[in-house]
Amino acid sequence: MENKKSSIIGKIYLAVMIAFFYLPIIYVVFFSFNRSKSLTRFTGFSLRWYENMFNNRSILEAIYYTVLCAVLATIISTLVGTITAIGLSKSKRITRELFQQVNNLPMLNPEIVTAIGLMLFFTSLRVQTGFTTMLLAHIAFCTPYVILSVLPRLRRIDPNMAEAALDLGCTPWQAMWKVIIPQIKGGIVAGALVAFSMSFDDFVISMFTTGPGVSNISIYVYANVKRVNPTINALSAIIVYVITVVLIIVNVVPYIQERRKAKLNAQLTESN
Amino acid sequence: MIVVPMFMIVMYALTVKGNSVLTLQFTFENFTRFFNDTIFPSVLWRSLQMAFITTVICIAIGYPTAYVIAQLKPGSQSLMVLLITLPMWINMLVRTYAWKGILGWFGFSSEIRVYIGMVYNFLPFMILQIYTALSKIDKNLLIAASDLGANDRETFLRVTLPLSLSGVVSGITLVFLPAVSSFFIPKLLGGGQYVLIGNLIEDYFIKTGDWNFGSAISLIMAIIILISMYITKKLDKEPSEERD
Amino acid sequence: MAKKLIEVKNVVKTFDNQVVLKGISLDIYENEFVTLLGPSGCGKTTLLRIIAGFIEPTEGHVIMDGEDIARIPAYKRDVNTVFQHYALFPHLDVYDNIAFGLKIKKQPKDIIDQKVQRMISLVGLEGFEHRDVTMMSGGQQQRVAIARALVNEPKVLLLDESLSALDKNLRKEMQLELKEIQREVGITFIFVTHDQEEALTMSDKIVILKDGVIEQVGSPTEVYNEPINEYCARFIGDSNIIDGIMKKDNVVNFDEVDYACIDYGFRENEAVDIVIRPEDIDIVPRNRGLLNGEVKSVLFKGVHYEVIAETSSGTSKTITMHVTGEHDVVNEEAKERISASSFTMDLEDVDQLTDSEVIARANAQAWTDEGEDVSLTHVEYNVEKKIGTYSCTFSTGAGTKITVKINVVKPTAVEDKENEEGIQAFDFYRTVDEIKESVALDTDLIRWADAYAWNIEDDSRVEIWDVKYDFDDENITEGDYQITFSTQGRELKIETTDKIEVGERIGLKWNPEDIHVMRKMG
Repeated sequence: MENKKSSIIGKIYLAVMIAFFYLPIIYVVFFSFNRSKSLTRFTGFSLRWYENMFNNRSILEAIYYTVLCAVLATIISTLVGTITAIGLSKSKRITRELFQQVNNLPMLNPEIVTAIGLMLFFTSLRVQTGFTTMLLAHIAFCTPYVILSVLPRLRRIDPNMAEAALDLGCTPWQAMWKVIIPQIKGGIVAGALVAFSMSFDDFVISMFTTGPGVSNISIYVYANVKRVNPTINALSAIIVYVITVVLIIVNVVPYIQERRKAKLNAQLTESN
Repeated sequence: MIVVPMFMIVMYALTVKGNSVLTLQFTFENFTRFFNDTIFPSVLWRSLQMAFITTVICIAIGYPTAYVIAQLKPGSQSLMVLLITLPMWINMLVRTYAWKGILGWFGFSSEIRVYIGMVYNFLPFMILQIYTALSKIDKNLLIAASDLGANDRETFLRVTLPLSLSGVVSGITLVFLPAVSSFFIPKLLGGGQYVLIGNLIEDYFIKTGDWNFGSAISLIMAIIILISMYITKKLDKEPSEERD
Repeated sequence: MAKKLIEVKNVVKTFDNQVVLKGISLDIYENEFVTLLGPSGCGKTTLLRIIAGFIEPTEGHVIMDGEDIARIPAYKRDVNTVFQHYALFPHLDVYDNIAFGLKIKKQPKDIIDQKVQRMISLVGLEGFEHRDVTMMSGGQQQRVAIARALVNEPKVLLLDESLSALDKNLRKEMQLELKEIQREVGITFIFVTHDQEEALTMSDKIVILKDGVIEQVGSPTEVYNEPINEYCARFIGDSNIIDGIMKKDNVVNFDEVDYACIDYGFRENEAVDIVIRPEDIDIVPRNRGLLNGEVKSVLFKGVHYEVIAETSSGTSKTITMHVTGEHDVVNEEAKERISASSFTMDLEDVDQLTDSEVIARANAQAWTDEGEDVSLTHVEYNVEKKIGTYSCTFSTGAGTKITVKINVVKPTAVEDKENEEGIQAFDFYRTVDEIKESVALDTDLIRWADAYAWNIEDDSRVEIWDVKYDFDDENITEGDYQITFSTQGRELKIETTDKIEVGERIGLKWNPEDIHVMRKMG
């Protein structure tokens, strides 16, 4: 009896928490359709702010830079991270542990410290800050996350796996492509996703490493937030839509695949 | 790409403006300036205080949440985790911006607004860390505890809580650390009246252009954070050593 | 004579300055089932991996079909491996796992299909072609691993502890099946295991390794009946291994008695190890055999009983237990009771005496009338490092008190030169109730008497094996009782089909040819 009561209380508590988490998102989407400029009073439905947004060159540019930077940073950091992780898994324990300590540094360091560090680094090399430096910075902070996501998968692989491939006639290169890569695919994809979202979301590091004329969505929001500007609501709402669609695809597709696989296996079991 | 920028900060922090690479002159001037000023140490202190309170609030709200989730059926558990993770995928700035609008309805003071923004942004990390630790606890341990005569409350205090502490500690790392250095949350929600150490650093780099002093501030902050992380880790390890 | 297929010549392997293989030479013939047997760390897996080509030997040669392959990479060798945890590719189904090697070799699709189907029926996995390998049972995974290796038609199949992950029944089944498969495909199998039973059932040839050196090579019957030394004897089969002396040819002595044997060629009075297999010892009536013994334990093993008989006793020490009646001190006011016993202790231990130790030795305890435990807040004693009797008082917070005596004595140890053991124990006092309430009486008696046995040579601790007394602990009354503590004596393991009772006195007998005498190691 008491248990039931406490579980109801627990559920209410959870519901409140979830509401707390989703409140701003719902708010943003809702007010992106507001007719007036007010951020507190809803005066009627309109698509005016969306229109505004698509006519605003600097917003479109910010979106373009954000996406381009995220895509490139994801591809490069995934490649670099995966190769490093594979190299690490084969190297000696001491090297591996030392490297992992260094690898953890950007994650333990406050973002702003990493950001100004990179900024000082670029300027001292007399590199003109701009899109390239921002991209390089993104690669630098995304790669550790890729390594962190690939390394455990590599460690979970049976240490005999590569040998089994060699034993069956694979050259070391073939063993890598046909046996190791397919097995760490999950980790690579997860790492790439994290890298993409980190890069897409990043504000602090981008702000310090970008140059004049190049800003991403976060920088744009930060710079324009002081004036009441419902266009940002529309921009935010679009991000919410895109992320929602992507997340549904990412989360639901594997689920359906799993279901199918399980079904297939069940059928096979039955037929035997 | 990871180590060199750190060296750069140290280099800048130890020099004053106008030094070129050839005529490097090391000095602690930046540091003495920081500590002799009346404003800077108080800002630092306020940032630490703010981060500390945020962390405490996150534990106070996050632990029960994680605990309730861990009690659900496995299917609902992963659904809840997914629900909590989802908002994190949306730009932090965008979410903070949204709060600006919501909080506009109520007449909160800038301090409370900053707290709400901080807790909102960092709470999911705390919940997920604690939940992970809780879900790793072997259910047989709880059965064993009740078999040995512990009631629900005692089981929680003597078994569940100590075993989930590691989750709390990593949660603290993930909340306290970014909270100390956060600068856009106070700026967005506090309306520029609530200055934290992160804002100071930003100002010195972006507005004033005194990189040396800015570096010194960030170095001080980084060191304080490292020390507090070290203490937290120590606190986590001690009880387990006692048990041995 | 079959053709020599692999010749391992003086193979040495070092890892980080640690020598794992110390010059191994071994011939392996065609169509032979060879087992590399030894405990973990003996180098057996390293040797296998050198043959497979996963590691290069530091020195030496591996010659296969007249060609030195020691430095040829694994993927160019006519050798395939079944790994310890199978190392099946989790991203491929059963069919694709088996076809993997053939696909790498770019064989035509129809040939691949033919060969894979043949293998699938050889290992009995028809209908499982498109199963997910990660969802299969251990036995099925094992079969996939064997098929995956054999489909490449290797000259040698290497199996690395391949059965160790299976449960006992399945392992037995797979042993027979493996042997069957080996006969059918007619190639050489090299099997690595630490399980002697597995080695005996399947092999044509057993290679026993120890610390990177081959100890013995031979057929299962050879290594079982004539182990070359104690190590091999212990590794193969259950044995009684006894230190003895070879008096002269055909006469061996142990525990002061001469026995006939058929071994010869040792020096006169050479120290040797003697092996007598448990199944070779017969139980006969007392005084009718070669020696007498007392049955210590009987374990039912399904087909037979495993009997442990003691034929000569260990080192023992007898002490007196003073059993007293109730002597609780009652504190009417506080409704408390307290009890404690006097005890005797070693002069040497006085220095290390602590309050909690005194409480434990005196078995001091206090409780309320309702039976709740009360803690002892105060312990007072004035023990000096001198032989004598001292008093000791325990009290609770409510002032309930009891005083007992502590006798400090110099222990009289019993030392047995023959067994090279010493043993000591002390007289002690206990109440009737304490003995009746004991859950594990033997353990408590050892603790109460502070009984301790040690090896005279190196002072290491020796377990107290036996506690003998002739009182009935359920119905014990006040008085003095003798208790004897002893260490383990000579014990022989016997396999018999006759039911026999613990405590029975029996005779033991064997034939001279059942004794196998071995040179001492190293």
